Amino acid sequence: MSKISAMMDTGKRSLMNSQTALQTVGHNIANKSTEGFSRQRVELQTNTPITEGNLQIGMGARAGVVTRVNNPWLEKQIQREGMSMGFQDSRADALGRVEQIYNEQNNKGLNQYMTDFFNSFRELSNNPESLASRTMVRESSVALTKDFGRVVGQLKAVQEDLDGQIKTTVEEVNQLSKEIASLNEKVQMVEVQGTPANDERDRRDLLLKKLGEKIDISWAEGRDGMVTVTAGRTAILVSGIGSSELKARQTDARDRVEVFFEGSSSTSANITEQITGGRIGGALDVRDKVIEDLLGHVDNMAYTLAKEVNTAHIEGFDKSGRNGVLFFDMPDQVKGAASVIGLNKTVFNDVGRIATGAQPGAAGDNTVANVISALQYRQVMDGGTSTLDDYYSTQVGQIGAVAQRAVKAQESQKNVISQLTNIRESISGVSLDEETTKMIEFQKTYDASARLIKTADEMFDTVLNLKRM
Amino acid sequence: MRIADKMSFNQVNQNLTKNRSEMADLQNQAATQKRINKPSDDPLASARVLTARTEERGNTQFIKNINNARSFLEFSDQSLSELTEILVRAKELAVSQSNDASGNEESRMVTASEIEQIYNQSIQIGNRKLGERYIFGGQKTQNTPFNQTGEYFGNDSDMKIQTQKDSFVAMNLPGSKVFLGRGLGGDGIVRAQYETPTDVESLKDFQNQEIERQQINEEVDSNFLTTRGPASESGRQSRADRQDPVTGSVGVNLFSTLKNLEISLKTNDKSGVQEALDTLDQAISQVVLARSEVGSRIMAVNSTNDSLQKAVVDNKVTASQLEDADAFQVISDINKTDSTLKATLETSGKLIQPSLLDFLR
Repeated sequence: MSKISAMMDTGKRSLMNSQTALQTVGHNIANKSTEGFSRQRVELQTNTPITEGNLQIGMGARAGVVTRVNNPWLEKQIQREGMSMGFQDSRADALGRVEQIYNEQNNKGLNQYMTDFFNSFRELSNNPESLASRTMVRESSVALTKDFGRVVGQLKAVQEDLDGQIKTTVEEVNQLSKEIASLNEKVQMVEVQGTPANDERDRRDLLLKKLGEKIDISWAEGRDGMVTVTAGRTAILVSGIGSSELKARQTDARDRVEVFFEGSSSTSANITEQITGGRIGGALDVRDKVIEDLLGHVDNMAYTLAKEVNTAHIEGFDKSGRNGVLFFDMPDQVKGAASVIGLNKTVFNDVGRIATGAQPGAAGDNTVANVISALQYRQVMDGGTSTLDDYYSTQVGQIGAVAQRAVKAQESQKNVISQLTNIRESISGVSLDEETTKMIEFQKTYDASARLIKTADEMFDTVLNLKRM
Repeated sequence: MRIADKMSFNQVNQNLTKNRSEMADLQNQAATQKRINKPSDDPLASARVLTARTEERGNTQFIKNINNARSFLEFSDQSLSELTEILVRAKELAVSQSNDASGNEESRMVTASEIEQIYNQSIQIGNRKLGERYIFGGQKTQNTPFNQTGEYFGNDSDMKIQTQKDSFVAMNLPGSKVFLGRGLGGDGIVRAQYETPTDVESLKDFQNQEIERQQINEEVDSNFLTTRGPASESGRQSRADRQDPVTGSVGVNLFSTLKNLEISLKTNDKSGVQEALDTLDQAISQVVLARSEVGSRIMAVNSTNDSLQKAVVDNKVTASQLEDADAFQVISDINKTDSTLKATLETSGKLIQPSLLDFLR
């Protein structure tokens, strides 16, 4: 008798096991497209057998735990590469915009305006008496100074845009930190009962990846199953069930946004220097290294141009024999020169004040105009080793090379990520075919178990009907 | 390897994106006909394109400069040719009146008035204008260079025009040299330096030298006046019609030569007329010398012009080679990418469609 009821029992448990397994299959199928999901598996174990005399009788199966199929080492690697991906992504985007400022393939740019400026002085040298050629000099000078302003303005606009990006990304970082902290709590709550928190862990892994794409983080899991996340070197974003925030705001020292770590105790530490990865790291790199560098170059050019033209112009004599004035308003210092360079008002209002001659009272004297136009081919940059043109085209070449490298790095990083993701999917991803097969398999098991119960039932019947027979 | 569904979808997605962006890039090349549309497409080449463009623009401007200088020089040359002609005529007249066989007091009076015409003509030539500019006034292009008595109001500086990156050519001849023979050598007059200052240092040097030069020349002039004394007409000195005893000048003052001839003719001074023959010869060769100077400058700018024209074309070719798309290459690449894209689409369909579920009833 006991064996029949054991049979009944085994069948019942098998029915339940199949249901559990089918439920897991359903869960897998439902989450086939869920980002970061790892397929789950019911671990079936044989039940403790019963020993009867010298027989050991199997007592069916019981469902162990539902585990997720996941390679934590791989997840960590993906997370690390994702950090680099975020960095390259934001860098390539920003550099793509920066290089457009220097793109003279289709539009007029600084190089053309500079040539026009020198050519207008050559035209003036052809005909220093003519008001028309003097006006041309004025127009080309105004256009040149405007273009200096354009380059600076556009470079600064990109910087401002990056500021905005940094601000929003910091908000996202805070949101993610909060979610990770709350998942820490859930993981712990679930796992304290001895069952693995599969879905919560998947979700937390995904959030860590997302966080890493935004800012460079390091993290470690403690014995309690909770992760501690540090951004940069010192900013502890998540610790246990608590999270701290980052703030992006301007400082008094600079008009650019910097990143601060707002620790638990109202302290605020500037961690801008520590951030070298993720989208924020990429944005900071372009904003503070590449663009600052370019701004310096443009300022350098504007300052040198103003200085050289002015020193020559002031030596000359204008149309009416008056001493030359400053041609450009002289910038006070190299820094910011490109944004303040402008044609002197005196010259602007009266093109007769343009000094072309080396001596007064000779309307055809073009000596100074020649000195100014010869400036184009003089090596006045880089300590007397390159001309203004050389200097500028070197910059264009450099920014092109940097942008090109960034795009290539972005592409190869994309490949790395997609390969790693492929490997991850091959381990943790859901295959419909596989799940369908399992579904059929467990359905059959369910069928067979039901039949077993029916058989046991019939056996009971047989036993109960013994008397009547 | 275990293949999860997401892998197939990702792969399809990735491949399609890749093909499509390649196609977009090629389409862009086809539309612009340019291989380089931004610096990062080829950093080295785009910097070189920029340099080639700058050079091309510079050269185009040099060609404009040369055209301007050439018209100035050609007009000077034409004027000097006329000047030679009338001087030759003056010499013919002087020869015919230098002896009694073909001339007498009366004919000399008549000839004198023709010489006066020639004198006026040469003043007119000295005051020629091209547009609004006097061509023989040196850099004082807005002042009438000569008055009726032949006094010079211009200066003796050259107007230098840039014809290449590192070379300048004078586009004018100052009237003091052509008509007055100043600074042709031996008269102690210091000519303006030939080199054009191209930076501020040399500009300052140049200015100082100019001041010094003017002082020296003024001194020479004043010495000259005291040693020579006034000539036959007040306010005008006949310079090298006789050699200067102090400086041994060889230049000739055209106007005083003609004026002296006229006076000699009027006064029936046969030996005066004979003396004028020598100076007229010198005057003619002085103008011829000036003409050859102008001529050689025209030749120089012409040959520079030729090489600039060639350089403009060369630069265009260089830029085009660097940045232009090879049309055949682009079209064949587009066809290749197109067939790859179609193949990807086709295989993608096959990869995604079937699943075990399709075969279960």
